[in-house]
Order: sequence, then structure tokens, then C-alpha cells
Amino acid sequence: MIPSREAHAPGRAPGRDFRERLGRASALIQKDPYFGYLLVLPLVVWTLLTVVYPLLDAMRLSLLNVGYVGAAGKFVGLANYAKILTSSTFWHTAELTVLWTVLNVALQVGGGLIAALVLNQDYWGKEFARTWIILPWLLPSIVLATMAKWMLDPTLGVVNYLLLRAGVLHAPVSFLGRPALAFVSASVVNAWHWFPLFALMILAALQTIPGEVSEAAEVDGANYWQRLVYVELPSIGQVLYVITFISSLWAANIFDVIWLLTRGGPADATNTFPVLIYYRAFQEFRISEASTISLALFVMLLLYGVWYMRRFMREGIAEGGS
Amino acid sequence: MTAVKAAGRYLSVAVVLSVAVLPTFWVLINSVKTLPELVSPVPTFWPHTFTLQHYTDLFTQIPFVTYFRNSMVVALVVTAITLVLSSLAAYSLYRCRYPGRQWLFEAFMSSYIFPRVLLLIPLYVAFTRLRIIDTLTALVIVYVTTIAPFSIWMLHAFFTEVPLELEDAAMVDGAGRFQVLAKIFLPLTATGLTALGLYAFLMSWTEYFFALTFIISDPHKTLPLGMAQFLQEYSIDWGLLMSSSVVIAIPPIILFAVAGRWFIKGLTAGAIR
Repeated sequence: MIPSREAHAPGRAPGRDFRERLGRASALIQKDPYFGYLLVLPLVVWTLLTVVYPLLDAMRLSLLNVGYVGAAGKFVGLANYAKILTSSTFWHTAELTVLWTVLNVALQVGGGLIAALVLNQDYWGKEFARTWIILPWLLPSIVLATMAKWMLDPTLGVVNYLLLRAGVLHAPVSFLGRPALAFVSASVVNAWHWFPLFALMILAALQTIPGEVSEAAEVDGANYWQRLVYVELPSIGQVLYVITFISSLWAANIFDVIWLLTRGGPADATNTFPVLIYYRAFQEFRISEASTISLALFVMLLLYGVWYMRRFMREGIAEGGS
Repeated sequence: MTAVKAAGRYLSVAVVLSVAVLPTFWVLINSVKTLPELVSPVPTFWPHTFTLQHYTDLFTQIPFVTYFRNSMVVALVVTAITLVLSSLAAYSLYRCRYPGRQWLFEAFMSSYIFPRVLLLIPLYVAFTRLRIIDTLTALVIVYVTTIAPFSIWMLHAFFTEVPLELEDAAMVDGAGRFQVLAKIFLPLTATGLTALGLYAFLMSWTEYFFALTFIISDPHKTLPLGMAQFLQEYSIDWGLLMSSSVVIAIPPIILFAVAGRWFIKGLTAGAIR
């Protein structure tokens, strides 16, 4: 509300009115709807500029035929969509991405669960083990790739050496040179990076199970596997659902490990969506086509996300406040 | 029987820990071998020779110091911006009352579903137009964006455990809300902010995908990007890669040794609540 000029009392110092208004504004801004909006505003603006704007611009690009960045594009309507949806590469990549995601989630959540059950036991050095299990997750993807290329090398690699010595193999194997093997190897390397994070989350959930419950089952004569299946797994079910969801979203978006190890090869065996999109945009300079594929990926992940949350997750993850 | 059980327990823990840490030790061990031993087809599990040659090569053979400095600058700036933006936003989302709060929270969280690769092309186009492509600024911008949603998730455990009465009491005493936030609330949540700082630093320090696309010239490359070009060469210099792998892993390991337990708390409290 702006006070009218007539409201000015004669003889008042000119700065006083302004200061008063400033005081009132500052009191108002510290009241709740405004204070809350004020604090969240910077991140909202940041997100609008760096997430919402790119999303809209990707839509614009998908309707043009831009080649390299900076080139002028012509409006082509939905031609890019028609093109990708009828291309066999797109569907092959979709298949590979699903397969990659399933295998990675299985390895990450499965490995995380086993590690969590093991670390949840009672032993000397618990704190140490439960902290430094994280080590693989601390390593940059470039270190993972270095390690994997080094250890899986057909002539220098320790893995081939040990397998040959143990008699499992009779000739060195090129783990990253054969399509199916490269796919599995890259998955194992990636899963090795992520499993500690999930192990720690599952471990935290296991520790919320009251000791008496497990003990009571033990007294009743339940063996280890019975306790696992009937007591422990059901109590951490919700956490496993959340973790599986996060793990699948992250896996579908993996670029680094694949690019550094195989560049999507051999014979496109590891050519998941992020790799395909990067390649189309920055190696083949088909910006519009790549934007279209990335939007298609977004829609697929969105549908998957909505379906998953409806199906498996209980309401109110966002219990903010209170 | 109990002895057998105990043995099984320690054996299982040893196996799990070995899977997690042995590959890293293998790199460390190889980084101090001389080149002939390093590339010998029969690996030695303990170095027969010892040299720091691969470490000194980092300073004489490649612009390692430049890469390291770029990575450090980006990681520190990203950490600072993330701390400010996320702690303000998280305070608003978890401690203030206003219409649309729940909706905003869900909007931030839904960026989990948003594929990073979808940001890549439009941001590349925009940064080219703004003439900040091939600069560290471009990396800082995109890293803050990708780190923010998880930061808010992490701060939940720390921000909701401060009793509301503490803030109310301070306000009754006449403190404004900015003062309460800066002088009472944020100091009480210092461990959470440290955990968040660790996360932001780690994510920026290790990032490769956006750096690969946005950075072109050598003087602006970050450490992962600089290292990657040695891995892609036809004849790979394994000595340099081993020593640089060890060096790039040191800052995350130190940070985790200092602030790891708070990070684990933020991570796990988010998952099990």
C-alpha cells in the first residue's frame, strides 16, 4: 500500500517515511508465506534457467533440422520424431538400455543387499568396515575406467592372468573386445562403483529392525534363511523399492564408464541412450536428431517413473517440516 | 560351533571389504613399480622395484598442475554456491509454511527422473551463444544444477531435527528471522552442511560427461578430462595413469575420512524415513 501525499504530516523528516516503509517491508518479508518464497526463490530461478529452459529449447530443436551447433535450422515439423521412431538403431538402443538397466540394478541392489547383510553382523572393526565400504563410490569414473582397462587387458591384465593360472581359461580373453562380454564387463565395473551406496542405505534400514524381533525368531527355532526371508527382508521392503527406483534411474543415465571403456562398441553392444545421444550430437553433428532422442528418453523415463511410484511406493515421501 | 560361526562371520566381512578396496590397492601398488615391471605380462603382487618416477612425471610430462587447479577451482566454487542455494531452499521447504511448498518439493525431487543428457545439447547451444563454452563457468553452472535436488534430500535429516521451539524462543527475544537463520539455525545444522559440502565437492571433482562436452582447450580441462585423453591414446602410458589415479582419489578420501559419517547419516536418513 502506497501512502498518499496528503497523509504526510507537516514537519516530518523526509527520510523518515522511507525508513518506515522499509521497516514495514522488512517485517512483512519475515512473515511466512513471503519469507519461505524469498528463500526458495534463488534455487527456483536457477532451476528455471538451467532445467526448464533447456527442456523447452530441446523441444524447439527437435522441430528443426539443425546439424552442428550454431547452424541455422529449418522447421521440419515432426520429421525427426518420425525418423527416430522408424529407425532400427533407436529400438535396438531402447532394448540395450533396458537390458543394461536391469542388469545394473540386479548387480547393484543384489550386491548392496549381500554386502549390507554381511556388514550388519557383529564383529570387531564394524565402524571401519561400514565406513570404508564406500571407497569404490569415491573414485571418479576415469579411475574406474583406468582400473578396468588395466585389469581386464588381454596381455597385461591381472584378471586374465589369475583365470589362466587357475585353469578357468586356456587362452587370454579380450573382455572389452567381444560384444556380450564387453556389455557384462562394463556393467560389473559400473555396479562396483554404485553398490556401496546402496549397501549403506540397506544397512541403515536393517539397523532399524529391533534386535528383539530377530532374537525372538531365533528362539522360536528359525534358522538364518528363515529369519532373512520372514523377518529382515519384509521389514526393509520399502527401502528396497526406493533403492531399486533410484538405481534404475541412475543406471539408465550412465555415460562415463561406457564411453571410456568401449565408446558404445564393440558392434554397438554397449550403445545405450546417453552414448547414442552424445554420439549423434557431438560426433555426427546431428543436433536436432539427438535432441529428439533425448526427449524420447525423457518421456520413457517419466512414464516409467510414474508407473513405478504408483505401483511400488507409498505416499508421502515428502514429509517435509514438522 | 561358535568358533566356526565366528570364522564364517570374519571371512564374509573380509570378502566384502576386499571386493570394495582391493582394486584400489592394486592401482596404488602398481603406481610405484618401474615401467618394465608394471607392463610385465606376469604381474607381481608386491613391487620388486620401487620408484616415484610416475609421480614426478605428472609434473614434468603433462599439465597435471593445470588440470588439478581447474578441478579444484570448479569443485570449490560449486560447493560454495550449492551450500548457499540448497540450504536456503531446504530451510524454506522444511521449516516454513506456505501454499505450494509440497508441490515445489516434489518438483525438485522429480528432477531425478530428468535425464542429464537432455540438458546437454540445449545448454551447449546456450553456452555457445553466451560465449562461456570452453570455460570453467559453464561447468560450475551445470554442476550446481545436477547436485541441487539430492542436496535438498540430504539436508532433510539435519533440518527437521532442530526443535522448532529454539527458533520461536529466539524470535520472542526479538531476533529477526534472518538472524535466527544465520546465527542459530545454520550453526546447529553444521554437520549436515558439511555432509552436503562433501557431496557437492565430490560430484564436481569426479564429473566427466559435461566436462567432455563443454571444455575444448587444454588449459581449461579438469583432471578427469585430462586423464581421459591418456586412456584413449593408442599406446597407453600406464605409469602416468596409475599415479594420476592415486592423486585424483586423495581429496575425496581425505574429505570422507573427515566428514564421512555425517554424509552417511544424510544419505541413509533420506532413504529410510
